Formats: sequence, C-alpha cells, structure tokens
Amino acid sequence: MATKKLTRIGLSQDLCDRLSRHQVVTCQDFLCLSPLELMKVTGQSYQGVSELLYVVSRACAPQMQTAYEMKLEKSGGPSSAFLATTLISLDEALHGGVACGSLTEITGPSGCGKTQFCMMMSVLATLPTGMGGLEGAVIYIDTESAFSAERLIRIAEFRFPSFFNTEEKLLSMSSKIHLYKELTCNEVLKRIESLEEEIISNRVKLLIIDSVASVVRKEFDTQLQGNMRERSNFLAREASLLKYLAEEFSIIVILTNQITTHLSRDLTTQADLVSPADDLSLWGGTSGSSCVTAALGNTWSHCVNTRLILQNLESKRRQIVIAKSPLAPFSIFNYTIEEAGLVLQDAEGD
Amino acid sequence: MGTSRFPPSIWGGDRKRSAEPLSQLLLRLMSLRGRGLWFRRPERIPDAWAGSGSPTSPSPRAVELLFAAMQRHLGSYPLSPGVRVKLVSAGFQTAEELLELKPSELSREVGISKEEALETLQIIKRECPVDLSRFASVSISGKKYTALELLEQEHTQGFIITFCSALDNIMGGGIPLTKTTEICGAPGVGKTQLCMQLAVDVQIPECFGGVAGEAIFLDTEGSFMVDRVADLATACVQHLHLIAGSHLEEEHQKALENFSLESILSHIYYFRCHNYTELLAQVHLLPDFLLEHSKVQLIIVDGIAFPFRHDFDDLSLRTRLLNGLAQQLISMANNHKLAVIWTNQMTTKIDKNQSMLVPALGPGFSGCSCSLSIITPGRTFREPPKTITRWKRRRIIFKDFAFVYMCWVRFTLEIFSSVIKGNHQVIINHLLKHLYRIYLSKNMVVNIKIHKYIYIIH
Repeated sequence: MATKKLTRIGLSQDLCDRLSRHQVVTCQDFLCLSPLELMKVTGQSYQGVSELLYVVSRACAPQMQTAYEMKLEKSGGPSSAFLATTLISLDEALHGGVACGSLTEITGPSGCGKTQFCMMMSVLATLPTGMGGLEGAVIYIDTESAFSAERLIRIAEFRFPSFFNTEEKLLSMSSKIHLYKELTCNEVLKRIESLEEEIISNRVKLLIIDSVASVVRKEFDTQLQGNMRERSNFLAREASLLKYLAEEFSIIVILTNQITTHLSRDLTTQADLVSPADDLSLWGGTSGSSCVTAALGNTWSHCVNTRLILQNLESKRRQIVIAKSPLAPFSIFNYTIEEAGLVLQDAEGD
Repeated sequence: MGTSRFPPSIWGGDRKRSAEPLSQLLLRLMSLRGRGLWFRRPERIPDAWAGSGSPTSPSPRAVELLFAAMQRHLGSYPLSPGVRVKLVSAGFQTAEELLELKPSELSREVGISKEEALETLQIIKRECPVDLSRFASVSISGKKYTALELLEQEHTQGFIITFCSALDNIMGGGIPLTKTTEICGAPGVGKTQLCMQLAVDVQIPECFGGVAGEAIFLDTEGSFMVDRVADLATACVQHLHLIAGSHLEEEHQKALENFSLESILSHIYYFRCHNYTELLAQVHLLPDFLLEHSKVQLIIVDGIAFPFRHDFDDLSLRTRLLNGLAQQLISMANNHKLAVIWTNQMTTKIDKNQSMLVPALGPGFSGCSCSLSIITPGRTFREPPKTITRWKRRRIIFKDFAFVYMCWVRFTLEIFSSVIKGNHQVIINHLLKHLYRIYLSKNMVVNIKIHKYIYIIH
C-alpha cells in the first residue's frame, strides 16, 4: 500500500526518525524523491540508498499473479464473477452479465430507463445464487431522489412472481437494499470513502451510484476557468476509489451518467469525438450539425470499463447499446420497459 | 625514502625539496593523482575506488600498487628506441609523469608525431595493473558504436508480430524489441485489446516467426479480462495449428506441443497497481524480476496516465516521476533486449475555439520518450449494424482470420506495401462517411476510401 508507514517495513528506528524530520513518513513520500535527495536526507552512499529503495519498493509493490492463476480463481467461483441481468442476449454478449471488479456505466437521455435498470439490478443482486443472484446486500447512492421503493416492489413481484409470493420475502429483499441520499460532490466522495465498513459488515455485493453526472454538472461549470481541471481531478479520484472497492471486495459497481450535446459546425471535427460509439446520433438516423455524447468528458470515458448506452427509438421501443466493453463486441438490443422492468425484444427480421 | 628519486615534475617545478614524512608524501602523491576527486563532495556519486576503503583514504594495498606502477622506469616498457630516447631527453623518467599528459601535448613537448604519442600512452596504460580512469589523458571508454554496427543490430533485432500483416508491414515487422512503443487512443478504441493480443503474440514459437518470450503486464486501470485473453489464446493456438498443418516439417508440430492455453496463460505475469506509488515500486523491482525470469521479452504498462492524472497538485513532481519512469523502462528495454509498450489516454485540448484530442501527460512525454506512437483518434467504425445477426455474421468472418481487435483494425492497411522503418507516428483520421486520412511521418498524407474495397484517393 502506498501509505504504508516506513516504521513498519523494517527500517531502523533512527533512520525513520531522520526521515520523518524531512517529512518523509510513508512509502509514497520515499519513492517520490530522487536518489540524490535521498542521499542527502538519509546520509548514506548511493549503494545504501539503492538498497533502501529496494526494501521500500518490496514493501509496497503489488503481488504477482500469472494469468493462468487468475483464470483458475475465476473458474473456481463462476457465479460470483458476473451478475446476470436476465436480459438473455445482453448477457450472452457480455459473457455472463455485468462483471464484478470493474466499473460499468449506464448512460442515456432522461426517461430512457436508467433508474429502472438500476432498480432491476438491485432486485437481482438480492436473489439467491440458485436463481442467478448474488445473495448479498445492495448499496444505492441516490443523488437525484429518483429511487422509488414502490416501483422496486412491483418489479420484484412481476419479474419473479413464483419467488416473491409472500410479503415477508419482499420485505426481506427490500431490507437488504441500503439507500443513501447525497446531494453534493463532497458528500458523495465522503460516502464512498466510508463504504468499506458497510461493505464488510452487510456483505454487500452491488454498489449503485445514480447518478454521477448530476452532482458534478451542478457544481462544476466547465465554462469557468480552472473548473475543467478540478472536475477531472474529482472524477479521477472518484473512479480510482470505486475501482479499488470493486476489486478489493469483488463487488459489482454500476454508475449512471447523462448525455450532453456536442455542437459542431463542421463535419470534419466530428472526428474529434471522444469515442466512436458514443455518438448517439449515428443510430438516430439524423446526423445534423450537433451530436449527442455521454457526459463528463474524456477523462471519465477512460475510467469506466464497460459502457452501456440506452436510447429511445420511438415512443415505446428503445435500444441498449454495448458501447465499450473489454469482452463484448459492439452490439445493439431492443427493449421496452414494462411492469417487470426492462424486457428485451427479439430482433426483427434477420 | 630519499626525495632525490622524485623528478622535479612532482613538485611542480622549482620548488625546493625538503624532507617530508612518508605518510604526507603519499598523501601528496595521491592528491595529485586524484586531482581532488577523492575529496567528498555531496553531489558526486563515488565510484570504483570506494571498493575497499572510503574515498578520502584508499586502502593500503591499492596505494602500494599504484605507487609501484607509477614509479616504474620508462626503460622497462616496450617502447620503440627512438621514442624512448626522445622521452628521456625531454626529462620524462617514470610512467606517472607521462600519463598526466594528453597525446597532443606529449607530441608537442617531445617532438614525436601524434600517432606515436597515442601509441606510447596506450602501451603504458596497458601495462599498468590498476584502474587508470582518473587520468585526463586516458579516454574513458563508454558505449559507442558506429552506424554500421547499429544497422546490423537493427536488422537482426526481433519484432513481435501482431498477426495483422498490414500493421506488421507498416511497422517494419511488428513491435520492435529494445524500443519503447506508446499506444494512444480514445476510450473504447481497443488499446487494452491490442496489449492483450501482444501478450499472447510474444509467446509464439520461433519457427512460426515469433520470439518465444514471456510477458509482464502492469495494469493500472483494471481492464485486463482473463476470459478475453483466454479467447485470444485459444484462437492463436488454432491458427497456428492450421499453419502447421499446411507445413510438412516436424519442427512446427513439435513446437506446438508446448504451446497450449495453459502455457500461454502461465507465462503472462500480471501485476495490478492501484496507484502511482505501487507502479513506481514495481518498476524499481522489475530488473530483479527480469533476472529471475530471463525469457521475458515484453513489458506492457496498461494505463500509464491514469494514476498520474489525479491528486497531483505539484506538476513538476509529476513530470519528474514520469520522466524517471520512462527512463527506467527505456533502460530495461535496451539492457534486456525486450519491447516495452505503454498505453496513454487522450485528453481534450482547447485551442482557439477548436478542441482537439491529444495524448495525455503532455507532449514531452510522448514525443521524447518513446520511439513509436500509434494514435487513433476519431471513429473506427461507422455503420451501425441494423440488426444483431448482421454483426454476428461479420464477427464470424473476422474469427476466421483469427484475431478480432473489436472494431480497431477493421480497415486493413494492405495498400502500404513498402516497409517504413524508424521513428514515425501513424495517425488515422476519419473525415467523412467512408473517407479516411492517414498521416505518416508528418509529410506523407494519404486519403483512402473504404467501401467494399479500399481505394486510394489522391
């Protein structure tokens, strides 16, 4: 770990005291100094400094795993590696469902069904493993106050009528979903930082943040100077915290994003778009002078591992697109929103 | 010890000789010899002399040897008689005096040609038993090559093939060993896919054109998916079986015996670095790791930008750390003859009301530290499939050609049949619906149109 204190890795006490006089307390501070500075601070020769560097690096370097070992680990517990979304074609394309240990983002225009999707996933996570769930708790961080418990119960009832046939099952399911309402960026960040204990004590298997974009866009106005950088800073920090949580505890993280319009006069500058598949106007059929992309910019697009885009086709029919995924190719599926949540429709024609 | 044995040059000319205790004499000699290099200055890194004693007082044995060597008379060296006569008449008696001078000075003072002076000094240097790198006249031999030697090296240097013949052609054979390559691109364009692909490709046995090496994967973004690598590895094994089937030689079949999914996956060494400190620490430890695993031929750092892009208020510290990191990677590439690849993110640069995508971490990082940069901004895929099944059909076609880089290498660059070597940037820009523009080496621009076939438009 980067913030490991030097006193714990086996260096002599007076060396640690000497270093702390120069404000070098953790491994991170040690590794940020150049060899000359280290020689000055520790008073040792180059040889001694190289040895110290070796010791400190050993203390905070990550463990090695071969890819084969990773595969064996994964195949040992196949059910915990993915959460099936019960949208069969989508699961097939994603090789099992929403992957755990990485960030998945759902984005789309308002009213497309992002919150519905999140609610559906929270129900699925509480199901026992025999039915394809993770049998764990869910943490739902809600920034738009869009979560409705009534709707959650209805989704559960209609989707799995045979399982949720008694009221107490419904109640126990809803008691496993922990809801937090955070309204500013700082609160969201503090909440994420404090989640570790909850995750361990409640055996949480799914973390949903709905939505990341609304708080950020409220507080950071990118027209003002300096805000762009602060915003990227904030987003990158949030992403690295979430990634750490996702990997350390092997949980699924689902984030929600909004879309933004990218105004461009010239067709040639369309080539500067962030990501190929983010350009939603491609499938809309109309490529006017403005195009629509996922919000929060470039930095955020790099941070998420999987991106699913929801889009409206006509009044009832919508599309879900796998825009970015390390496992799945670019695919499009049609769906509608019904009582039971999202329901896939088969592709028409062939 | 009588002082009369020492020729005048030690005392620097007309100074009166007086009896001095031996220890002071030795120190004086040593100070002349060392030219003050032995005095401890905090900014210098002490070198070979620090072996058996501290810099200010070398070990007694070393002193003895040096003393003896320096006092050897010139007559004992195998010099040509003419030169020796001239040296003696100029007043030189011992080796120590000669070595203080440069060849040009010696030739001027003694009256011999420059080549003879150089030869004389080299003879004396050869005969001396101790390290003489302190002397100004003795040239410090560093690493130097002629361009011819470098050319030979470059021809024999291996490449890691990517199995996309067009891409290999344009890069002169594949990803070059002993060099660093940077891959930038928009998010979702396939950088991690390419890295995973190369981690499999580096293990291809030599009889198929590969380098039969192992790979180290340093992951900072967490986008390494074992299932995907397993798919790629399986496809690679199948593809090689097909090739081996068409060859009648034994060695292909034999080489494939050890090339299975299990062996491929066990030779990819994966490290997950959560922040920049872990990345720095791991890169410090890599040389030792490479000593234990000598077959490693490829180091991949996936996402070198990500841990450095947040929580860094001190930009100069960031620049320094990044440069140090790049230098360590470059030196590993050179010393262990392996290829280093890192992936970079793209960031939006706003320049006079126009926004452009440029590689992150500043121009200094990509431009100076690596030898090849592959940038793919813009769209890589234009026509959305209308239905799923059409996409599935396309996917099957790609599978037959073994490797799918998602949508990345959808257009093949077979039009470039000429081999382009050296430092270059390949920028592929999408202009309009079917029109692509490819920039090579700043001056060459080619417009290509991809519809069913590929046309070059001038």
